[in-house]
Amino acid sequence: MLEAHNITVAYGARRVLDGVDFTAKAGEMTAIVGPNGSGKTTLLKAITGEIGASGVTRLDGQSIAQMSPADLATRRAVLPQSGHVAFPFTVLELVRLGLTRGFASSSATAQDTLPHQALARVGLSGFEARSVQELSGGERQRVQLARVLLQIWEPVLDDTPRWLFLDEPVSALDIGHQLVVMQIAHDFAQMGGGVVAVMHDLNLTAMFADRVTLLDQGRVKGVGTPKEVFTDAHLSACYGCTLRTNTPPPFGGPWILPQAASHHPNHIRTSAGAPHS
Amino acid sequence: MAFMPSRLALRRPTTALAGDRQMRALALRMALGLSLLLVMLLSLGWGAASGIDVPGALAAKAGIGTASLRDMAIVWDIRMPRMVTGALVGAALAVSGTVMQGLFRNPLADPGLVGVSAGAGFGAVAAIVLGGFLPAAIQAATGAALIPFAAFLGGWASTLVLYKIATRGGHTSVATMLLAGIALGALTGAVTGFIVYRASDDQLRDLTFWGMGSVAGATWAKLLAAGPIIVLTLISAPFLARALDALALGEPVAKHLGIDVQRMKRLAILSVAASVGACVAITGGIGFVGIVVPHLLRLVQGPVHRLLLPNAAILGAIVVLLADMISRTVVAPAELPIGIVTAVLGGPFFLWILLKNRAILEM
Repeated sequence: MLEAHNITVAYGARRVLDGVDFTAKAGEMTAIVGPNGSGKTTLLKAITGEIGASGVTRLDGQSIAQMSPADLATRRAVLPQSGHVAFPFTVLELVRLGLTRGFASSSATAQDTLPHQALARVGLSGFEARSVQELSGGERQRVQLARVLLQIWEPVLDDTPRWLFLDEPVSALDIGHQLVVMQIAHDFAQMGGGVVAVMHDLNLTAMFADRVTLLDQGRVKGVGTPKEVFTDAHLSACYGCTLRTNTPPPFGGPWILPQAASHHPNHIRTSAGAPHS
Repeated sequence: MAFMPSRLALRRPTTALAGDRQMRALALRMALGLSLLLVMLLSLGWGAASGIDVPGALAAKAGIGTASLRDMAIVWDIRMPRMVTGALVGAALAVSGTVMQGLFRNPLADPGLVGVSAGAGFGAVAAIVLGGFLPAAIQAATGAALIPFAAFLGGWASTLVLYKIATRGGHTSVATMLLAGIALGALTGAVTGFIVYRASDDQLRDLTFWGMGSVAGATWAKLLAAGPIIVLTLISAPFLARALDALALGEPVAKHLGIDVQRMKRLAILSVAASVGACVAITGGIGFVGIVVPHLLRLVQGPVHRLLLPNAAILGAIVVLLADMISRTVVAPAELPIGIVTAVLGGPFFLWILLKNRAILEM
């Protein structure tokens, strides 16, 4: 259980988050949605301890402010929005950074094979030797996801759930890989872990999220299942445009909504150096 | 697509190791280690005096056979401290450069960025020019150690000032440190310039040589003072390796990966200030080693610091020892300051790297 209470973050006089309460349950995927500048990413940063905020965040009953970075790293992993890498690591070298101190007791075999399994999970088998700096934006985002997955490879460890925090995990991805990544997050929650994701795509959110927190101007405007929160009135008010749920588009053009990942992730991009096809 | 799995299976041996440059780095370490041994021996045999029985003098120290007093003196009192100083300073400069580049997340960062060079230069210049104004008792007590001591103090002090300026609310801003370093550098440069302006001709000559660096003045006494600091930082550097790797992904990611970023920054900055300060104190300014060595190694073995730091130490030692041998040869029997040699070699080499890898300019 992740409980954040009365989270307030101010940059100067401007309150980016104003007394936000947020909860997420292990075994579920909780999405944070809202328009640009509503405070989604700031909330994620506050509840992962990346930035200072007033209020309290408890991870399974323990205040994160009282946990050391090393302890936190074994309990939760965070995928940030931008993934600039300062030096030309290979894909494998970068993913291995997910082998944090918690892996010190793992066998050498596990430490050798898990990075490859994490890469396979995001559909990047065969990319091990590529330089991270030469990848496309979407590929780089998936490499970072592999690193993050590796860090908390077991969704539940010693009867304690582990947490996956994702900041716009699909923003750089094509529609096929969006589904793959959402499925990974969904599976992590199904296996008992907790997932908190900042999302822009409301359709994907409706497909995969168990719970949704809708933010606008630093305040919570709705909490519940996607069905409860994604009402025409709610969304139209927050996003400042007319929105209609479950209605075909008025212009009559094609209307594309992903249904399910039909491929195993490995088959989306088959192998080493395969061209972008 | 049915053929894909079998093709993959055929390539299994390479794909299993693909992306892992550890073997390459370890092989390189072996080669570099052997080269360093060779260069160290060459350095001992290289010098103005000819006909020195170097192996004999080395063996005699260990109690095997005998060597002439002259040979013993030249090998053990002149060449050995010079060689050890060159190797230690080279290793420290290269390791400090690697650490700074990791910390600043920029392959062009230099140990001088933390203000240590400017501060040390100021300290040395002040000692050379103004040392004569100190009370006679202090002058007598410090003797020749005054200049290195002042350089070390100056370097350390300016780094501390920068660190204080850049740290607010328990967070050190690397960017602020960089910018404040430029301002502080200009300020100390101006004061240094003023002191130089007031200097006598003899002092000017001392200043010029000090600024260009030299290992010629190395003695066991100097080594005893600076060596422990340098060795300590060389030993502590590997403990930063994992944190430096994580930091390449940005400070937030490093924190999420369990790194105590602030503690690590403090350790890195202070250890670099101490080791570079100690180096500058005993040899003056030796440029480019801290930038070129790590850069060259990264091209071959990648940026993983656990593998990079030891190799940088070895290659740094090799480069400074080679540069010292060149500096002793080109204008023999006189000696060129070693800073000139490293700049003449390092400058064009660095430009060549830049032209070959224009991509790093975009970072």
